[in-house]
Parts: sequence; C-alpha cells; structure tokens
Amino acid sequence: MTFVYRYLPALKVTALLAFILFACLPLVQMTLISFTVTLPKPSAEVGSLTFTNYTNIWNSPNLRSSFVNSIAYVLINICITVPVAIPAAYAFSRMSFSGDKHLFLAFIAFRITPPVVLTLPIFQLFSALGIVNSVFGIALAHCLFNLPISIWILQGFISAIPKELDETAFLDGYSHPRFIWKFLLPQIAPGIAVTAFFCFMFSWVEVVFARILTTTNGKPISMAINSLFGFHTDIGLVMAVTTAAMMPGAVLLFAMRTHLSLGFRVGRV
Amino acid sequence: MKYRTEIGWLFVAPAALIISLVGLVPLITVVNYSFFEIFILDARFWVGTEWYAEIIGSERFWASFGRSTLFSAFVLTIQIPLGIAIALCIPKRKIWVGITLALVALPLLVPWNMIPSLWLSLLNSETGILGRILPNLGWASDWKLSTPHTWAVIIVMDVWHWTSLVVILCYSALTTVPAAYYQAAAIDGASPWQVFRHIQLPKLHHVLLMAILLRFMDSFMIYTEAFPINAGGPDGATTFLAVDLGEEIRAFNYGPSAARSVIYFMIILTVAWMFSKAQDMLDCGERS
Repeated sequence: MTFVYRYLPALKVTALLAFILFACLPLVQMTLISFTVTLPKPSAEVGSLTFTNYTNIWNSPNLRSSFVNSIAYVLINICITVPVAIPAAYAFSRMSFSGDKHLFLAFIAFRITPPVVLTLPIFQLFSALGIVNSVFGIALAHCLFNLPISIWILQGFISAIPKELDETAFLDGYSHPRFIWKFLLPQIAPGIAVTAFFCFMFSWVEVVFARILTTTNGKPISMAINSLFGFHTDIGLVMAVTTAAMMPGAVLLFAMRTHLSLGFRVGRV
Repeated sequence: MKYRTEIGWLFVAPAALIISLVGLVPLITVVNYSFFEIFILDARFWVGTEWYAEIIGSERFWASFGRSTLFSAFVLTIQIPLGIAIALCIPKRKIWVGITLALVALPLLVPWNMIPSLWLSLLNSETGILGRILPNLGWASDWKLSTPHTWAVIIVMDVWHWTSLVVILCYSALTTVPAAYYQAAAIDGASPWQVFRHIQLPKLHHVLLMAILLRFMDSFMIYTEAFPINAGGPDGATTFLAVDLGEEIRAFNYGPSAARSVIYFMIILTVAWMFSKAQDMLDCGERS
C-alpha cells in the first residue's frame, strides 16, 4: 500500500490525462472529419482537407435558422425556469409547509421521467394550445426536467447562506419578495449562473421533445442535423454542424469554469 | 432549522403550476388512454386493464426489463466509482481545475442524436481512429453481429457521455470539505485511503445519491443514444425498455403505448420513493 501512496500524485495525473484523452477522442475524430471532403465532388478529392463544410453551414438558410431556433428556445427556457425556480428553492430551503417533502418528491419524479413516456400527450396538449412548431413549445416542454434540477441546485446555494441574513432583513421590515430581490439575489448570483448553465446544457442537447414538437417549423440544430442524413449523407457536413453546435456550449463552459471550479453547492431538502 | 409557514406554497406555486402543465396533465392523459382501445382519438372504447395484462404477461417486456436493469447495473458500477476517482484526481491549483473541468465536461455538450454517429464514425474500419487500431488488438470489424461487442460499445459510449456529470457533482461536493479537516488528518498521519474513507466520502453521500438516481434513471430509460448503434440488435439483444415504447408510439398504438408509459412511470415513482427514503436514512445517520 505504501508503494501506491508514494506514487499517488503521479498516478493521479496519469489517470486524469487518460480520462481527458478518452473524453476528447470522439471529439477529435469529429473535428477531423469536419475538415475533410467526404462526398465526391468535381473540385476536390474525397479525403482532402477543406473548409467548405463550414462555409456550407453558413450558406444554408435551414442550418442558419436552426442555430437561431436553438439559441432562442434555450434562452426562453432559462427565462422561464430561473425566475420560477428561485422562490421555490427559497421555500424548500427555508420553510417547512404541509406536503413539502411530497412536492419535492414529485418534482424529482418528473425530473427522472424520460420524455419518451410523455411524448404523445405533450404533443396533443401543445397542439391544442397552438404552440407546436415554435421555439416556445420546446422551451416549455424542457421545463419538465430543467425546473426540478434548477430548484435542486439553487436550493443548495440558498442553504449555504446563513439564516441571520434573512432574520435581520425581516427585522428591518423587508417583505419576503423585497428580501429575495435586494439581498438574496446578489448573494446567489454565482448559483444563478451555474443553474442557467445547467439549463442550457440539458436543453441544448435534448432531442425527443425537440423532435416531436417541431415537424414543420422551428427545428433546432439537432433536428437540422437529422435531416442531413439521407441516401448520400455528407458526413463531413454533419460533423461540421455538430462541431459548430458544440461551440456555444464550449464558450459558456470556458466562461463558467471558475464557478464550476469553486464548486457549486448541492444540497437537499 | 426551517420555520413552519404555509406561505411556502405561494413560493412554490409557479413552479408547481408549470410542472403540472408539462408533467401532471400529460400523465393523467396517458393514464386515461391506457384503459381504451383507440383507433382515432374521437372513437375509442373501454378495454379495462387489458393492455396492462398484455404487457405484464408478455415475455418481450420482461426481457427488455432485464436488459435495461443489466445495462443500468453496468453503467452505475463503472460510472460512479470512475466519477469519484476522477474527481479526486483533479489538481488543487485553481487554474488547472477550471481547465480540467471544462475539458471533462465537453461530452455533455454533444446533441444526443449525434452521440451514436460520433461513436460509429470513431469505430469505422476505414476512417475511424479506433476502427483502424482495434482490429490489430483482436476486435472484429464485424462487431455489429456480436452481442457482447455491441453491449461494450453502448456501455463505453454511455460512460464517455455521462461520467463527466458524476465528476462535476462529486468535485462540487469535495470542495465543501473544510481545509481544517485535511490539516487535522495530516497531523494524525492519516493515509490517503483513510482521508477518503472518513473525510471525503461522508461529504459525498448526498451528491452520490443524486448522481446514482439521475444515472440510474437515465440509463434505465436510454432511448436516443442506444438504438442507432445497432438498431436494437443483434437479434434484439440491445432492445431496452424505452425502445419498445418508442416503437409503439411511432406505430400510433395509443392504448398500449399509454399503458406502457404508465407502467414505466410506476417504476419511476418507486425509484423516486426509494431515493427519498434513502435521503431520510442519510439524514438520520448524520444527526445521530
């Protein structure tokens, strides 16, 4: 055992590097293909280096609008989720009310409900409400899993704030909403950023709701990629779109790295 | 401690309302459909629990159930320990932490429908990086015909996709360990294993419970990623629970697919209930 301990730091670095290599390998493959000609063309040989896959994305109105749609529904989703999750997380963190545990259990149950179980009725309900084929429909459907997870993350952040902050504010005559607005929000700002990031992450990549809710219009990137598959699939273009689709996330991830590395707190009810 | 007030309901009402709209209402609709034979939505007749009896009595259901359980077991036994281990390996220097976390989390950003395509192109025997190396190590290029090989691909793919989430969650919990604990351990001459067992692991309990819940459920109901790898084959060997449901929905079998959804939701509810029981047990353990 002591032998292992002596080399522990070196082992740790090796394990970490091996894991990062494993995590990046498919992405390297993806990036390589995205710069390769994969369909026979008169101008270039199959297998040669090219940038046309990326220029093709820019030149295709369908692909361009799919990026706009994806960004739109993710933003709408965050704008619905976060303001609704903050008071709920505050209540779960500070108050005890009848049925609170059951309600939290219900939230968790809906978080782990796979979208495929609810596809049929959600499609019917959203058609009745007239929000299929629009970014708003996807944004609302994604609340099913984003809202519970947001409450869970925010609740951990709020629980980390000392109770005294609330109590002094109430003694000074602040109401609950005013207290949340003036004192709590600045305190949990990193928590809100982490929550928004997780909403983005789970919503951006989801496909089951995105597929059934956009049959003709409002297709997000994942569905636009799907429609690229056909008899002669230009896999280079597919990989280029996927690489491009990861870019906003990668930028956000890099911007968020300090928050993530500070360790967002995860709590419980 | 928390103070008792029913105002809490006011604060959770908007969230509860949205979840009711996108979760509860569809669920009730599904329960309703599951008792009917439906050709078109306006013409339906009552069949009672016939669909349920049919599904529960079918061998296919139990076979899929078994496969999904086995798959989840594999996923959990690999991802949870691996996630903890990698979280422990993350360096202490702040600048490295950010970079490692960002790199590790990259697989989470790939659209789910592209994940099978990525792995298939990686394993492509002509152009893939792995596809060109692996045959030299004894991996047959016609792996799609073999059940163990297909399983291995799907499991490795899921490990690749989701271990990062476990790493991030575990790392977030590890940062809540006060530095004084480590100093005290160093003074007592505790070994790294003892530090892990008695200082770090207890801090991980709650997060691990959540990670296990999320990973169990998402792998148990794996749908988008698993099917395109080998179309549920070879010979149905990778047909999981959600794939069966997806097929019935695509065939517009409203009644049977609704009954199936209800059965799946019952499983989900049981799991969520066990999760909350486990959480209570952890709380009791901490207090005593």
